[in-house]
Amino acid sequence: MKLIRHLLDKVRPNFETERKLHLLRPLFHAIDNFLLSPATATAAAPFIRDPLDVKRFMSAVILALMPSVLASLYFFGLRVIAMIAVSYAVGGTIEVLIAIARKEEINEGFLVTGLIFPLVLPPSLPMWMVAVGIAFGVIVGKELFGGTGRNLFNPALVGRCFLAIGYPVAMSSQWIKPGAGLVGRLTQYVTSSNVDAVSKATPLVSAKQGTYAPVIHLLLGNVSGSVGETSALAVLAGGIFLLAAKVANWRAVAGTVGTFLVLGVILHQLHPGRFGPVGWHLLAGGLLFGAFFMATDPITSPLTNSGKWLYGGLIGTATLLIRNLTGYVEGIMFAILLGNIVAPLLDEAAVRFRLGRLRGER
Amino acid sequence: MKLEGGYNVNLAGRPSDEVEVLPEQSILHLPLKSSRFSFTEVSVHEGDEVQPGHVLARDPHNHSIPLLAPRAGIVRLAAAKGHITLDDVLKVPEEPYYPGEDLPHAARDMGSSGMKRYKLLELGAWQSFYDVHTGEMPGPYSIPHAVIVSVVSLEPFLARGNVQLAKRLRSFTRGLEHLQSLLEYQPIYLVLPDIASVFASQVRDILRGYAWVRLVEIPSKYPFDNFRILARSLHLRPEKGQPIWGVRTEGILAIDRASTLSLPCTARIVSVGGPAVRHPVHVKAFPGYPIKEIADRYVASQPFRMINGGALTGQVLQPTQLGLDAECSGLTILPEEEERHLLAFTRPRWRERSYSRCFLGFLGRDFPQQMNTGLRGEPRPCVACGYCEEICPAQIMPQMIHRQLYQGAIEEAERLRVDLCVGCALCSLVCPSKIELRSELLDAQRRILTELRPQEAQA
Repeated sequence: MKLIRHLLDKVRPNFETERKLHLLRPLFHAIDNFLLSPATATAAAPFIRDPLDVKRFMSAVILALMPSVLASLYFFGLRVIAMIAVSYAVGGTIEVLIAIARKEEINEGFLVTGLIFPLVLPPSLPMWMVAVGIAFGVIVGKELFGGTGRNLFNPALVGRCFLAIGYPVAMSSQWIKPGAGLVGRLTQYVTSSNVDAVSKATPLVSAKQGTYAPVIHLLLGNVSGSVGETSALAVLAGGIFLLAAKVANWRAVAGTVGTFLVLGVILHQLHPGRFGPVGWHLLAGGLLFGAFFMATDPITSPLTNSGKWLYGGLIGTATLLIRNLTGYVEGIMFAILLGNIVAPLLDEAAVRFRLGRLRGER
Repeated sequence: MKLEGGYNVNLAGRPSDEVEVLPEQSILHLPLKSSRFSFTEVSVHEGDEVQPGHVLARDPHNHSIPLLAPRAGIVRLAAAKGHITLDDVLKVPEEPYYPGEDLPHAARDMGSSGMKRYKLLELGAWQSFYDVHTGEMPGPYSIPHAVIVSVVSLEPFLARGNVQLAKRLRSFTRGLEHLQSLLEYQPIYLVLPDIASVFASQVRDILRGYAWVRLVEIPSKYPFDNFRILARSLHLRPEKGQPIWGVRTEGILAIDRASTLSLPCTARIVSVGGPAVRHPVHVKAFPGYPIKEIADRYVASQPFRMINGGALTGQVLQPTQLGLDAECSGLTILPEEEERHLLAFTRPRWRERSYSRCFLGFLGRDFPQQMNTGLRGEPRPCVACGYCEEICPAQIMPQMIHRQLYQGAIEEAERLRVDLCVGCALCSLVCPSKIELRSELLDAQRRILTELRPQEAQA
């Protein structure tokens, strides 16, 4: 530790203004404050602060994604690691370059986006598409809006949406059959050229034709689907950890899942032919992953707590309707993007409600 | 309004209930500024011999509130800038001193209540009255709409009511009677903690007999002792120009001392607490008591930062301030942050607690935390975690106000009721993005008063 501190202090002067490497200062700061906690002191009251910072906050999300990552390694093989690496490398480079150009601090938020993005893609997607998708997501979804904290849409979903529209075949009809047995596909590197491993349908696709995969498969995850979403148990484990740690705002999750369940039960009773069994639908596809990891994205969801309830409700409803009434088999992506659009409106509704309560107070 | 939000930080170094009397000093440095007052009208001369209760200076902008000499001594005006120094404190013999009887018109017009109020002003008891909505001192001849008396003090660390009252319940009830004699049927709300301690039940038992006092019990959660939050929860609003008064324990005791004994109120109970304090206690001291003596006596670790007031809302005690000021009720001493830790954000951290549950400290029982002045993170854009909205006792939305202020929309901040902010600092405390919400909100309040509504501010 002393060695690292000594080393950092030794190279620090090179990054000061007017020195050779001053353009790289954001990068140096990021590395410096990543390795050693910053020793900034409070300048204004309160003079004591809560120990939680954004690094810890984002690390908690990454930790919560680990069960899904591990499950995906087992089911879909080592290619997942390569996808994550490409996503981090391409997205991270863009992030650093833009931070340098803007002379801003490099933000931890990307560590989450860069991990979530490959987890919502089909495991057989060509690497160059992963790279294009993340680049589009970061540049158009985030940086054009002014960078982290100012973006309207979830960058990972913007990237995914771009790929889904631009490359529909690769994004919706080339899936990998999940591995099985003791080691699963942990030792394999499966691409879409491996004809034996390729599957045409995910459980949601089959459900449209009336075949429902067993619930136990959805729970464990040995079904086809996007990299990180197939195992409901792994997603739940991470998601419940996030809620317990109070990192994810429980209101958005409760709103999404609650509305999906309540509305789903009602509609299933009214029209069982059109609306599938709601318990099955809850575990299938990306609903849980979206509810825990994307509806809770702090920046693109409403800022207010009551706004988050409405936001969850909207996402749950939209997902249910898209899945059951339209030609699309999965609705969570569009539902969350729709939620992103109306988030400011939901905030305004929440604000008006609150202001009504505060009227006349002094 | 229902009490909502609020949060208690369990900071190490909570002052014990013991009150230490500090040894006498031969030199006292009385600062001419305190949090509300600035005593610019000096009324003594170099070399004057003064007695306890002698008026040293007055604040012309605050109803000529006097700064009283706490001890007999020789006045030195040039010894320290911004201070009146009392020299040879132990040598000059003390004699009883009574202020003059030239009543101002306002007091004479009010009859006996006016004379009592004049006495409170001149003997230094009036300075412990607050206008609940402005935080300023109310006019001594104003008529309140209601009075809130609070014996609860929840910020870490300010002098606690139970410590000040331990042996003086009788003077407290007498003080309340004197307070009532200043009023004309306006209600007095007495705020107590809703706990089963011997002290709380004693106070309750005695005061149940006072039909004109309404008892209000509040949970011991910071900042429910804040006068403005209390006024809102009691549905009290200033009406027809009549303010709500707020008085704390020390104020009631001062009223008793001034009214019953006609003695000047200068001695203060001050808490000395915080993680950098050797043995945290309450001390009895006079304004002007040298800060350096207190630091030498109580500070255990170097380097440290001394805060005038509590850790959440206090102000850094500047090195130019040499003595305790006339309004100080607590000194909080924190270790200055220096160390950097390797990959700190990955550590489990069993010895830390957070408003979130991201640190493993929450698994065990609550424990006092060794906190220092560190920001503990880097400033980042808002991550919309919603903590500030959850915790805000004023029930406003700090994150929304921050966003509007960031865009420079001060009118929007006004619409979002930034005026209701009481500056409790909980939002800044819990913010993971380390946004200085308290400073931003209070600054917006000031700007609205001075830039948007200058006419109203003058009226």
